[in-house]
Amino acid sequence: MSDKLNEYVDGVFAPYEGTKSVGELKADLLADLQERFRELRAEGKDEATAFDLTVESIGDIEETVQEVSNLSRVLERQVVTRFDSSALQGTDFAGVTARQGRFGTSALRGSNFANADLSGSKFKSSDLGQTNFDGADLTDAVLTTAELSGASFRRTRLVRTDFSMSGLTDVRFSDTALTDVLFRKTDLKRTVFERCTFTGVDFTYSDLRGLNFDKAVFTSVKFDRSGLEGISMRGAILRDCSFRGGWSKKYYKALATVNFEGARMDKLTYAALKGFGVEPSNVTVE
Amino acid sequence: MGTSKVTSDLLRGNTDTMILRLLAEADRYGYEIVKLIAERSQGEYELKEATMYSSVRRLETDGDITWYWGDESQGGRRKYFRITEKGRATYARNKTNWEYAKRVLDTLL
Repeated sequence: MSDKLNEYVDGVFAPYEGTKSVGELKADLLADLQERFRELRAEGKDEATAFDLTVESIGDIEETVQEVSNLSRVLERQVVTRFDSSALQGTDFAGVTARQGRFGTSALRGSNFANADLSGSKFKSSDLGQTNFDGADLTDAVLTTAELSGASFRRTRLVRTDFSMSGLTDVRFSDTALTDVLFRKTDLKRTVFERCTFTGVDFTYSDLRGLNFDKAVFTSVKFDRSGLEGISMRGAILRDCSFRGGWSKKYYKALATVNFEGARMDKLTYAALKGFGVEPSNVTVE
Repeated sequence: MGTSKVTSDLLRGNTDTMILRLLAEADRYGYEIVKLIAERSQGEYELKEATMYSSVRRLETDGDITWYWGDESQGGRRKYFRITEKGRATYARNKTNWEYAKRVLDTLL
């Protein structure tokens, strides 16, 4: 049912996607609606009635979205640095401010972006192998379908950063709080995550086989339809996490191979796992 | 609830002040605001999510409120809104204006 709410909100926002503030409004609204829906269900309303009442509580959202997106275009408009399709291998960009920079389809292999402010920048389909992003701000940056093998993200600010469908072989994320980061349809089998926290991260359809997530903290993370075989989550903390595999038996079989030894999880996550026939032992449910 | 358009416009016109009032008491998140307004008006006024968020954005742009991520022990994160000093002044001014308008209207209607 929460999927149905998701779909509904997705539909309403579809024509306005793109600006940061619209994305924020959407996330805020969805959180509210989910809480209202849960409360109505707890009061004993049936699913259909609760859904209708929840949707009704939104009101005229289109007007609000338009206001917000007009407002944000004024606020977010700034000088755009364009490096599209350029050859800049090994360039030193350390500490620069290139908000909303355009680095799409560029050859940037081995470049140094340490501590640079790259918020909102676009690196779509670029070669970023062996690139250093340590300490950089990649809030709202787009790094989709890029080649990032061997790149380093240490203490990098990653908020709503999109890595979907990129090559992340031997990429190292360390001491980083990943917030609302997207790794959809991404091969992460050889990616390293050290001392990271994951909040609102989306791993839908990604290949996570064999990854080590020991002691990691996951809040509202989606593992839907991802490859989970042999993942280690020993001592991890999981809250409000989603494991959905649709009708795929393979998914649930792989889910059963995840090592949750000593993990702590909230009742919802535990119940979700149990509902799929996975009953992790030696976990603390809180 | 079956109120005329005039009434609902009048109520909606005071959304910013209602929200400032709630935030003057404590920091709150989105759903909490709409819920409290429904509760305090005993269901007479239902603030829609859309109206609330457009008001919140406006207040934010004007510097009357700010926001921060709450650390939720369970479930997803919530964005909490907090009133600024400027917001408190705006609230006091709006409230005074309302008292004045109410007095004048009472003599005229």
